[in-house]
Amino acid sequence: MQPIASGRETSSIPPQPSGGAPVARPRRIRQLYTGWAPYAFLSPYLALTAVFFVYPFLNAISLAFYQTNGPRTRVFVGLQNFQFLLTDEVFHTALWNTTVFACASVFLQLPLSMGLALLLNRGNDRIKGFFRLILFSPNLVGQIFVGILFGVLFTPRYGLINRVFHALFQWGLEERWLDNPNLVMPAIVLTSLWIWVGFNMVYFLAALQTVDKNLEEAARIDGANAWQVFWHVTLPSMRHVVVFVVIMSVIGSYQLFELPLALFHENGGFGPDNSALTVIGYLNFVAFNSGDLGLGSAVGWVVACIIFTISLIQIRIARVAKE
Amino acid sequence: MNSLQILLLVLLAIFLVLYVSSPQRPRRAFRFARWVLLGMASVAVLAPFVWLVAAIFKDKTVLNEYLFFPPLGHWSLETMNLDNFVELFRGKPSIQGTVHFWQYALNSTVFATVSTCTQLFFSSLAGYALAKYDFRGKGPLMIFMLGSMMIPQVLLLAPIYEMAVDLGMVDTLWGLILPHVVSAYGIFLFRQACMSIPNDMLDAGRIDGASELRIYFALVMPLVRPMAAAFCLVSFLGNWNAFFAPNIFLHSQDKLTLPIILNLYVNEYSADYGVFLAGTALAIIPPAILFFALQKEFISGLTSGSVKG
Amino acid sequence: MIEKFPYGKAPFWLFVIAITSTLVLLAVRRERPPRPDLVMVCFSGAHKAAYEHALPRFEQSRGAKVQVQLANWLSLRTRLQNAMLAGTEVPDLVEMFAGSLGFFTRGPREDIGFLDLTERIRAERLEERMVESRFSLWTARGRIYGIPHDVHPMMLVYRRDLVEKLGIDIDQLKTWDDFVQVGQRVTKDLDGDGIIDRYMLNLPQNGNWALESLLLQRGGQLFDEHGRVAFNSDETVEVFRWYLRQTLGPQPIAHDCGWRQPLMKAVSDGLALFFWAPDWRTYEFQDGLPLLRGKLALMPLPAWHPGGRRTSVWGGTGLLISKATQRPDLAWDLAKFLYFDREQMGRLFADTNIIPPVKAAWNLPELNRPNPFYSNQPLGRLYADLAAETPPVYSAALDAVAHTKFDAAFSRAIEYYKDHGEQGLDQKIRSELSYAEAYLRRMEARAHNLLAKE
Repeated sequence: MQPIASGRETSSIPPQPSGGAPVARPRRIRQLYTGWAPYAFLSPYLALTAVFFVYPFLNAISLAFYQTNGPRTRVFVGLQNFQFLLTDEVFHTALWNTTVFACASVFLQLPLSMGLALLLNRGNDRIKGFFRLILFSPNLVGQIFVGILFGVLFTPRYGLINRVFHALFQWGLEERWLDNPNLVMPAIVLTSLWIWVGFNMVYFLAALQTVDKNLEEAARIDGANAWQVFWHVTLPSMRHVVVFVVIMSVIGSYQLFELPLALFHENGGFGPDNSALTVIGYLNFVAFNSGDLGLGSAVGWVVACIIFTISLIQIRIARVAKE
Repeated sequence: MNSLQILLLVLLAIFLVLYVSSPQRPRRAFRFARWVLLGMASVAVLAPFVWLVAAIFKDKTVLNEYLFFPPLGHWSLETMNLDNFVELFRGKPSIQGTVHFWQYALNSTVFATVSTCTQLFFSSLAGYALAKYDFRGKGPLMIFMLGSMMIPQVLLLAPIYEMAVDLGMVDTLWGLILPHVVSAYGIFLFRQACMSIPNDMLDAGRIDGASELRIYFALVMPLVRPMAAAFCLVSFLGNWNAFFAPNIFLHSQDKLTLPIILNLYVNEYSADYGVFLAGTALAIIPPAILFFALQKEFISGLTSGSVKG
Repeated sequence: MIEKFPYGKAPFWLFVIAITSTLVLLAVRRERPPRPDLVMVCFSGAHKAAYEHALPRFEQSRGAKVQVQLANWLSLRTRLQNAMLAGTEVPDLVEMFAGSLGFFTRGPREDIGFLDLTERIRAERLEERMVESRFSLWTARGRIYGIPHDVHPMMLVYRRDLVEKLGIDIDQLKTWDDFVQVGQRVTKDLDGDGIIDRYMLNLPQNGNWALESLLLQRGGQLFDEHGRVAFNSDETVEVFRWYLRQTLGPQPIAHDCGWRQPLMKAVSDGLALFFWAPDWRTYEFQDGLPLLRGKLALMPLPAWHPGGRRTSVWGGTGLLISKATQRPDLAWDLAKFLYFDREQMGRLFADTNIIPPVKAAWNLPELNRPNPFYSNQPLGRLYADLAAETPPVYSAALDAVAHTKFDAAFSRAIEYYKDHGEQGLDQKIRSELSYAEAYLRRMEARAHNLLAKE
């Protein structure tokens, strides 16, 4: 048995308050073990991270300044990759499409998820579980499979979506969702709603459990209507989760790729007139279709910076909103 | 399909009637509305699944005639049959010989299960180490791990691909599994789960003469089973449905996984889409099974990381 | 035992499945059938069928096993390139469509995954034995990587019965100017309902293949022999202008008759009198319009200038050999067998009306036989006579992008023409072409970084 190292802290009972009954309040001290075990347990992580994270990460920094043709040939080009991205209209289109999608995700999808979570919150546990299961189920299906399925659902005249829209709104039976550049992004947003509304709803539902019902009741007694209760009491209590979900949503949106790729399989995920091209789709095309891993790295850095900046901004906003 | 519009109008009418009957306390009206809205959401979510199941059994000729299933009177071998599956399971020629659908399913299974199991083992081991041990460099290591979680995976894909080609790891399943065996996210999940294990129990185990590894297996892991189940499910889902990395790493036809081959089939069977829809339906089954078995643990595991901030 | 598994029930089953499936996978891998000596990939079902018919003779004489596979080009192209760059398994021979070579030749020479066949071709004097201009499709930076499968010269198929009834003398249609003059006389609204019922010529509305064919006939090019973009030229402007005038002008002579069914209907209705026909299209008409037997005939294209070129080209396939093949000599022999075997070429012509690029084969009886469908004209002979004049079509790494930009430039020209007619049209076309060229030059400059090492 290994000797316990000398770094051990001893538990101490705080001094008794004088002149009163002794109150034993043992502080919870962590008696943590030292020795070779933690190093052994972490060694796979350390080894693999060094090889498959640190080394590629450093490589990615340098790769962005090269132009390559496949994994074996490379030429140093300095900042040319970034210059190219600044002027390439296809990249700008991809950036625009992705940003539009991210906005739709945050301002369309999340309120829908929140709404569903609020609706579901009232029921008893079994009802909650039942609907939660149903509404979450699209998440099981990989993005590629969803894209394949919905590519067929958007068929003009015969597709499920066209027929439903026609039945409800008398419009859209012959609409070519996947051929009309103006309808492409709505199609993608609609599909992503199907996938993600249930997913985010689960988070919001869990967060709603932790909201103090008494606070809500108090506000209601004070005369606030349902919307005011929600906006001023419920939502702030869920602040952490909301910020987390928003950030996750934005980060996920900027990495959208497999869904448009499967929906627009004939031209490799670009869509008519490049309307379905996302930033990662552009990266995939540039790095793995055209073979320029260097330019792909540069795109990867741009995406990472965008995500990082947006996350920072959001955290800042959330902190400000707290006050 | 105007029956749909009529149905909506009827529901609206019922709501209005309930509301009008007691405007002061419209609880019944709102409860009705809640059920209707939830029902509509559920129908919207389930409809594509039902359509998928119907589509894979419908014969090519009647695929577009009926929206979902043909009316019971019209069921026959001409309208409903297994032709799509026959075509799906037929072997296709390739450079590596004839490849069948079950081979792709096998590749996916190996990739997903082996990845998940190795990820489970190494992540839980490391998470436990971070939770219950103190050692030099722990602080910096955790900061490093937190930072690494902020880097999007896609940034590293190009350099890892280059490395894989140089090491001869490209076009192999193990070469695909290895780079992702440990993730900081999983480690943090397990760290969180292991934190709440009482130290006295661990010490008791040490006094009894158990080795550290034995403690891990016999004492710690059984206590974090819910988290292990949740992690398994998330991990399996991610690996089973993975497309981007496998698509780049795998070149030979006989090594491809289900998402890749079904995406290829969309081009090949663009007119005959019952075939690849059948493949898609089959591909959804394993994650569905796992999900139904583990849904409670999954939901709790998913949200535990976020609710506590 | 399941209860004692540390991680719980579900992980236990996952472990079990992981182990069993890995074992099954290893067992399956070990049992792979031996690889045939040569694996060839092609993208046309008709070609595959034709090759498989002839293969047994080759396999017997060489004692080798050959497998031909059909693949989907879209899916395979990128995967093939990545496999070649990463050194994983590739087929020995690939038959691909015109315009595809550029994708594989964008990098430095050592990265090109196909065998440089220049020496072999020169040694066996294939450039003299075949139509030399067809090698342009398969040449990159001065080296030849593929053998052409066909020539696809262009002629016009016309309704001989209707043309004779109108008193048009085909021999007088020597230039496009003659053609347009007659066309304006012929194109008219026959039943007074405001819709023109008879056009002179079939031309697709948005340019497409016809625009490029006309440009090539005129002496223009999309790319020069170095693979650089070359369509910003006077010839292109003139062809654009001519094309717009004939399809959308005040006196149009051309109409978009579509593909397949609508095209067949247009021919049989006489909606247009003259139709573009590379050799393979003549077979489509022959097969799909039995009622017009004897009523159709062929004529060479009217030239742009008196004495000018009277044909053009459209498409084609070629055969390339992977650099990574284990049996390059056997592959080369197979390529020659498939493309030079007289029986093969005869059957190909009989089944598809496609003439081979091999000059010695033009005396095959099948090619010189009068074709009763086409008014007993010796179809093969007519195309073969034009074969030597076919313009070269150069390959380029930016082929796909350049085509997109070229088509986009023409689309914008169409819009401009609809709004403003010919006023300022030339400048507009020029500016669109220059814009497209500038974009492509930037990409060429980038590609040049990789080639600087050569």
